[in-house]
Amino acid sequence: MDYYRPVPGTQVEDLETPCLLVDLDAVEHNFRVVADTYRDTEVKMRQHTKNIKSPRLALMQIETGGTVGGVCTAKLSEAEVMVEGGVTDILIPNQVVHKDKIARMCALARRADMKVCVDNMQNVQDLSDIADAYGVKIGVLIEVDTQMGRAGVRSNEQGVAIAKLAESLPGVDFRGVMSHQSLMEYKGEEDRYDVGRQTIQICLDVKNAIEAEGIAVGMVSSGETFTIDVATTIPGVTEVEGGTYALGGTTYDYMKDYRMANKVMGTVISTPRSGVAIGDAGLFALSGLGADSVEDHPEITVGEMLDHQIVLKSDGEMPLKVGDKFKLIPDYQDMMINRWDQYIGIRDGAVEQVWDIPGRGCTQ
Amino acid sequence: MPEAKPHSHFRCQKKNKDVAKLGMKNTVVLFADSVPTCTHRANLSCHTQISGLAPKRSQHPHLVDSTLPVCYCFSRLLKEGVSLAFPTHEEPLMERPIFKPIGTAEEALDTPALVVDLSGLNQNIETMHSFFRSRSVGLRPHVSGHGSPAIAHMQIAAGGTVGGIMTATLGQSEVFAATGFDDIFLANLVTAPSKIARLCSLARRVNMTVAVDSAANVSDLGEASVEAGVTLNVLVEINTRRDGMGVAPGRPALELANAIVGEEGLHFAGLMTYEGSIRAEGDELVSESKKWIQQVLDTREKLEKAGLDVEILSVGGTHNYEIAGEMDGVTEIAAGSYALMDEGYRTYRPQFVNAAKIMSCVTSMPEAGNVITDAGRKAIGGDTGNPGIPTLPGGEVRGLSAEHGGIDLDPSFDHGLSLGDRVWFVPNSIEGCVNLHDYMHVIRNGKLDAIWELPARGRYR
Repeated sequence: MDYYRPVPGTQVEDLETPCLLVDLDAVEHNFRVVADTYRDTEVKMRQHTKNIKSPRLALMQIETGGTVGGVCTAKLSEAEVMVEGGVTDILIPNQVVHKDKIARMCALARRADMKVCVDNMQNVQDLSDIADAYGVKIGVLIEVDTQMGRAGVRSNEQGVAIAKLAESLPGVDFRGVMSHQSLMEYKGEEDRYDVGRQTIQICLDVKNAIEAEGIAVGMVSSGETFTIDVATTIPGVTEVEGGTYALGGTTYDYMKDYRMANKVMGTVISTPRSGVAIGDAGLFALSGLGADSVEDHPEITVGEMLDHQIVLKSDGEMPLKVGDKFKLIPDYQDMMINRWDQYIGIRDGAVEQVWDIPGRGCTQ
Repeated sequence: MPEAKPHSHFRCQKKNKDVAKLGMKNTVVLFADSVPTCTHRANLSCHTQISGLAPKRSQHPHLVDSTLPVCYCFSRLLKEGVSLAFPTHEEPLMERPIFKPIGTAEEALDTPALVVDLSGLNQNIETMHSFFRSRSVGLRPHVSGHGSPAIAHMQIAAGGTVGGIMTATLGQSEVFAATGFDDIFLANLVTAPSKIARLCSLARRVNMTVAVDSAANVSDLGEASVEAGVTLNVLVEINTRRDGMGVAPGRPALELANAIVGEEGLHFAGLMTYEGSIRAEGDELVSESKKWIQQVLDTREKLEKAGLDVEILSVGGTHNYEIAGEMDGVTEIAAGSYALMDEGYRTYRPQFVNAAKIMSCVTSMPEAGNVITDAGRKAIGGDTGNPGIPTLPGGEVRGLSAEHGGIDLDPSFDHGLSLGDRVWFVPNSIEGCVNLHDYMHVIRNGKLDAIWELPARGRYR
C-alpha cells in the first residue's frame, strides 16, 4: 500500500512520480453533464463504481444529480466499501452465489437497499433462504446476455421462469432486468446507436415477456458508458450503468461532451538513445491497457512497457529531457485505477485534495 | 411451540451481557462471528437442533462441504414460531478483507484469493538455491517475484545468495529495508532530486546499490552522497536485448564507469544488464542467453584492461540462471519468479512448480461448456497473457475481463462443476499478479497456515 499525501497547494510539477492525478474541474464537469443529460428523462444514471473505487466520487455524482440515487458495484466487497462510505442504494450487476457471500450481502442489506443479478434458479433459492433467515429482503434482477457471451439468461423463457420463482419466494424481491453491452468494435456513430438499440432491445424483450405473465418489472438497468446517450432514446430503460464517463478513457473517444479527468504523471529518468525517453511509470502502475498517448505531445508514441518503466518514442527529436514530467492518457482506465491507493486531486495546477481509493483490490 | 434458548456456543463470553440486555424470549441470538461462515446439515428437531448447531467457527472449518447454512436451518425454526434476533448495528458485522482463522480449509477462503502452497514454495527455493550453494556465483532474489518480506527472508536463509536482495523501485527498497534487509540492489535509475535524497537516507542504514546510465545522473548522485555523508554503490546498466534503459556495451560503459570512479561519494561496483526473460528452450535458450551476457563480459574485460575493478556483474534470471551461472565472470544472478512460478514460465522451467494460484468461484454457467468465475484481470492480472487452469482438465481460459474469468469447458469431461465451486488459476505473470494483492494466503496441507502481507504493493515511487 502507498501513502502518498502531498500537502494541498503543492504545485503539480513538484509532485513525486509516478502519481495518479484527478483533474477536479474535469470530473465536476463530467458529473454536471450527466446531471444535465438525465435531468428530464425517465432513464437515470446509476454510476458504476468499478471505475472509481471511491465512495467520495460516487456521492459527488449523486449530489450533482441525474442519478437513481445509488450506484452499481462489480463485487460484494466493493459494495461493502460504498455502503461504508455512505451510499445506501446498491446494485451488484453480477452474481453472488457462495453462501458465505450471500450471508455477507444480507448483513449489508440491513444498512442499504441491496440488489443483485441472477441467471440461475438455484441461486435465487439460496438468496431467498438466507435472506429470509436474516429477516432482510434482497432485490433481484435477471441478468440478460445480449452479446457478451458471459453471464445472463439466453432466452425470454428462462427469464420468465426465474422471475416467477423470485416472485414466489420470501426474502427476495423481484425488481427487474439488467444487461451489459460492450460495443468496443462499433463502426461510427450510426452503428453505435443501431447496435446499442439492438442489444438493449434483447433486454427489453425479456422485460415484456415477464410483464406478459402479470409480473411487474420496475427496473430495466441497461447500457453503460458506450450507450450513455443511446439509452435516453429508448422508452422502458430506467437506468444506465455508466462508469468510464466519470474519469475518462480514450476507448470512449466519441464522448466529446466529457473531459479526460484521470492521468498518470511520470518523470523521464533516461534518454538513452536518440528519439527515446524512458519514464518512471510502467506496466504495474498503468496496466497493459493503461495508456496509449502523452498529453500535449501528439508526436510521442508509447513503446514497450516494462514493469516499472515506459519507453516513449518520437520520430523526430524527443522533446522530453531527463527530469521532465509527462502525463499519460489512459485507454482502459478501470484496470489502472485498481492499481492506485490515492487520487491526487488537482485544480489550477496545484493539489487541492487527496482522496484514498478504498475500493482498490476489492475483487471479492 | 418449541422454546429456543440462547446457547452458550453461539456467543463469545464477553457478549453475555448483551444477550441478557436483549431479554427476548423464544429467541436465538446469532453473532456475526458465527453467522456468515458456519454451515451445517439441518436436523429438524428444534431443541437438539440448536445444540447440534453450536460449533464455533474456529471449530468448524469444513464450510464448503456441508450442505445448508446455519441461517437456513433457522428459517425452519422461524416457521415453527421461534424468532431470530441479530446483532445491533454497533456489533461489527464483518471485516474487510474477510479474514478466516488459521486452519480454515483452503476452499472456504473468500474468493478471489491469492493462495500460496508452502510445500511448493519450499521446493522451488530448494531447487534454485541448491544450484547456487555449491558455486561461487551467487543468487540475488528479486523481490518483485513475490513482494513478501517473509519469502525474501526464506530465500536468504536458504543459502546460495549474495546475502542481499534486488528491488525495482525506491519505495519497494524502503519497505524491504524496514523489514530487515541490509543489502539492497535497486535495479533502476534514481534521478529526481527528492528521490536521490531518499536513496542517500536509505544508504545511511543499509548497503544500497543503484544503477546508472548517464554521466549527469552520476554527477547528481555523487554530489548528493557527499552532502549526505554516505557512500552509494553504483553499477553501470548496459542495454542489451530490451529496448529500455542502459548505455551501449563497450566504450560508453567504460566512460560512465570512469565517471563513477571520479566521484568521491560513489563506489564503482560493476556492471548489470536486464536482458529480459527469454522464453526459449534447449540450444536456443543457451545461444540467446550467451549472446547478450557475452556483451557484458566483453565490457568487463575492457574495464579491467583500463584498470577498473568489476566486483559485481549481474545478469540472468529464472529463465537462464543455470546458463548464466556457468559463465566465467558473472558474479550474481537476479531471479524472482522461481519462488512462486507462473504460467508464462511453466513450459520453459519444468524444475519449478506452480506454488501460487488464484482461487476463484464459479458464479455462472449460462450454457453447456461455458463457465464464468469471479476472478478476472483485476485479481489475476492479464497484461502478459491468459492464466492457466491446470486443475480443470478439458478446460481452457477463453479470456479475462476486468472482473470475470471465462472458461471453455470440453463437455466430454464430466466435471460435476456447479455454482459456488472453486477453480484455481495460475497467473501468467507472478510479478503482475502480486502487484494486485495486499496479502497472500499461505496454505499447508490444504489449510490456511498464515497470512503474509505484501507491504510494498503499490510503491511505484
